[in-house]
Amino acid sequence: MEKTRKNKLLVRLSLFLAVVGPGIITAMVDNDAGGVTTYSIAGASFGYSLLWALVPITIALIVVQEMASRLGVFTGKGLADLIREKWGIRVTFYLMIALLVVNFANTLAEFAGWAASLELFGISRYVSVPIGAFIVWIMVARGNYKVVEKLFLIASTVYITYLVSGWMAGPDWGQAVKEVILPPIVGQSTQYWITMVGVIGTTIAPWMQFYQQSSIVEKGIKPRQYKLAAIDTVIGCVLAVVVATFITLACAATLHPAGINIQFAEQAAQALKPLAGKYASTLFAIGLANASLFAASILPLSTAYTISEGMGWEGGVSKTRKQAPEFHFIYTGMIVLAAAIILIPNVPLIPVIFGSQVMNGVLMPVTAYFALQLVNDRRLIGDAVNSKGYNVLAWGCVAFGGLGSTIMVTSMLFPRLIGG
Amino acid sequence: MFYLTRMLGKPVVDAAGDEIGTISDIAIATGEVFPRVTALAFKGPDKTPFMLSWRKFVETFDGERIVLNAPRAELRFSYLQPDEVLLHRDLLNKQIVDTQGMKVVRVNDLKLSESRSQLRLLGAEVGVRGLLRGISPLLERTIERVAGLFGKKIAEDIIAWNYMDLLERDLSAVKLSVTHKRLHELHPADMADILEKLTPAQRAKVFEHLDDDQVAETISEMEDDLQADVVEDFSDQRASDILEIMDPDDAADIIGDLPYDKAEALLRLMGVKEARQVRKLLGYKEKTAGGIMTPEVTTVTADTTVQAVIEHLRGAAAENENIYYIYVVGSKRVLEGVISLRDLIVSAPETKIADIVERDLFTVAVDDDQEMVADMMSKYDLLALPVIDEAGRLVGMVTVDDALDVLDEEAAEDLALVTGSSHSAVSALQGWLGRGPQWIIAWAVYGVAVAGLLRLFWERPATFAVAAAFLPLAIRLSEEIASHALGRLIERGSEETFGVFARRFGVDLAAGASLGIISGLVALAVLQATKQPLAVSSALSLSVGLTVVVLAFVGAILPGLLTIGDTGRWRASSPFVTALMGAAGALLFMTFTMLLQNMIGM
Repeated sequence: MEKTRKNKLLVRLSLFLAVVGPGIITAMVDNDAGGVTTYSIAGASFGYSLLWALVPITIALIVVQEMASRLGVFTGKGLADLIREKWGIRVTFYLMIALLVVNFANTLAEFAGWAASLELFGISRYVSVPIGAFIVWIMVARGNYKVVEKLFLIASTVYITYLVSGWMAGPDWGQAVKEVILPPIVGQSTQYWITMVGVIGTTIAPWMQFYQQSSIVEKGIKPRQYKLAAIDTVIGCVLAVVVATFITLACAATLHPAGINIQFAEQAAQALKPLAGKYASTLFAIGLANASLFAASILPLSTAYTISEGMGWEGGVSKTRKQAPEFHFIYTGMIVLAAAIILIPNVPLIPVIFGSQVMNGVLMPVTAYFALQLVNDRRLIGDAVNSKGYNVLAWGCVAFGGLGSTIMVTSMLFPRLIGG
Repeated sequence: MFYLTRMLGKPVVDAAGDEIGTISDIAIATGEVFPRVTALAFKGPDKTPFMLSWRKFVETFDGERIVLNAPRAELRFSYLQPDEVLLHRDLLNKQIVDTQGMKVVRVNDLKLSESRSQLRLLGAEVGVRGLLRGISPLLERTIERVAGLFGKKIAEDIIAWNYMDLLERDLSAVKLSVTHKRLHELHPADMADILEKLTPAQRAKVFEHLDDDQVAETISEMEDDLQADVVEDFSDQRASDILEIMDPDDAADIIGDLPYDKAEALLRLMGVKEARQVRKLLGYKEKTAGGIMTPEVTTVTADTTVQAVIEHLRGAAAENENIYYIYVVGSKRVLEGVISLRDLIVSAPETKIADIVERDLFTVAVDDDQEMVADMMSKYDLLALPVIDEAGRLVGMVTVDDALDVLDEEAAEDLALVTGSSHSAVSALQGWLGRGPQWIIAWAVYGVAVAGLLRLFWERPATFAVAAAFLPLAIRLSEEIASHALGRLIERGSEETFGVFARRFGVDLAAGASLGIISGLVALAVLQATKQPLAVSSALSLSVGLTVVVLAFVGAILPGLLTIGDTGRWRASSPFVTALMGAAGALLFMTFTMLLQNMIGM
């Protein structure tokens, strides 16, 4: 009796492990250089008072990512593929151009994060950036999907450094829990709301939907395995937000009471040193370096995948340069160009990071809109379409994201209008 | 000449001149090489879809609008026939298989042409031209003109209907023209190439329409790392049926790659005989004679007659793949000799086998290296080679097709060793950088570790960085030169005279020296760019350069020393060489750096 139960559990676990990957990897990359920066700023500037926002963000993230993975499982096609088949070349082309620009800005931010975090260890960016770019490029250009996925899963575990440094910072748990349950939203400044929108924009990024759906397709996950894929998605999203929470906690417990304001994640790592100790600071910096490099390899990969798919070019990690020239051109081009730009002396990094988050925010509702239209197409996925209640929730999430982005963009373009 | 993307959305006008809707799709009859357009689908005022017979109702189409020959009230609407294909719904923007070019492509546009008042489909546009037109006709014209200035033409890339196979719509119920070539009519090797390019879901769809024999053949032709994945996706019943059809050695390769539970389940579903054969084969090591042999061997005893053996071949042994050699065995299947099909045919029927058997024959042992087996077959022009166990019992045979695969594989490996690249398609640079990502990462980690050691002696971040960046490259470079030197050995064999050897050795050294100078200069440039003091940068770049030169020298002589005529020994010692180079590189770099550091007195 005991033995069969155990066996069943083992079988189930092995079934799950066969499906696991796309959801967790995608969600972990979400805490990239831009993400770490935004969460650190939220903690440093507003203490625990923005933590509550991570709860609705988790729900929205799960909803958006779940829809993308469902589309992948039930159609066996990527998101760009489906958009091309439903809306034609022109719509796809402009969307791909937008995605290319946005993802490139994000890749720049990742290399900036990589350079900045290694500079904390005394390594010049003229050394770290070329090495980083090379590692990123070789991993995908020479590896096959299975190997790459394993490497990515291993990289995911490094995020634990944030949990440790957040814990070492010694946050006031009681206060944190209190402010999550009773959000102190009355009488907050405009800057508070803008930061909150930044957190939304950085957490639910458009490339994530494309990437997760493509990796599900590449992995060949079938409808009967869908539940497991959904669990993978939920676990990934929750873990991502847990990491985000600890980053915020670390800064809220130390930088906020000290009144230190920061603009970039590496400043948070630096500022942690006198306040939370050398080790907390080092772990924070290692986390940033890992996150940046990890995201810097996934973003160009995702972009190359998505564009090849939409335009009808061959693409994929396992295709050689000759089989998929466009795929490799986009992939290599993005890495080389991003690394080169970061190496320009005195290039301003903070506007780059900021800009990439804004662009994410603008594009997110657009791609989510496409995904929602597709996931309600009965001809496409049959009975796997959204239920009415789920649709309300999903549209709510898109509206939540859309509204947030609108506020953020408006405030950036016309700072006087909203003030702050 | 019309294009579908430009037709869609154009108005449909009835005989009275009233606009009754806009074009939404066009249907074709599927039976011909250049299929006729048979029906028009259009959207009415409230987006209601309608369908009309093209032959009965369409009067003219001039590229701008369709004029019907009857007023609205007299139109008789029709339905889509099972053998009709809708160009927009089924083809435009979809992925199709080009069965002539043997590629998977996406349809960017469809080209139609009018001939004798019939509109016919010329083919699908899959090139860049259709992509540009789809985005904007203006863009297409502009780019065409710009290309024209450079004397280039952007050609159309058209696939005719009879070379298309649709991935999403099943055409098996439709009668197609005799020249229409569908995916499953291709040679299994070509089909395998195409299937490798599809997603798992698309592959599954294609396999649905193939019978088990076709599936078995196609899977045997696919890349090794995909085979197990594909088989895993079938239901257990179908998977076991397919594996049963396959040659036992192919089936064993696939089953060996499956997870244990799945493999056991499939073996249990397979026929007793087949499963036993596969289990036996699984017991042999990969890359040995046992790993590539087939257990299906025709055996006879020496006391039978030629007549009886021929009867046996027609009957029980008829399903054996290879009957060119028939092995003569004694008790307990101990191999005694061989007769060829030729011997049987030229001998009189009543001749005893004992009189014609060739007892002096080539054999290999089950754990002999596969490359040796293949070399032997190629040297002695054998079509098959018997495999025996340590007691001299016949356990199987290696056939020439398996040997060819081995030679291919090994040639690619040798080439990779020589040039540092694994496939011709992979660029030289990629190949140069490493044979796998794991190596690059290992070298980088190694470089960092060495750099950490160095920091104990010299508290300067630049040393750390330079070691981390350049050591992996230096090691890789020397390995490259070693491979190059080995390449010469393979090419020349033992015939190489000392003069030739010395000259080539000189070339290698010169290459090493120039690479050393270049690495040193690059290091210097990087260090200067990061504003290191001149003394530090020159010391570090000098030691980088020196390390590369010395490692290159070692790389050039090592293979010669290690192999001394036997290239096989290199393969075994290659990881050892890499480790040796790594250690030597680190030591050299540390020594040079410390020496120079003392010299400049820092």
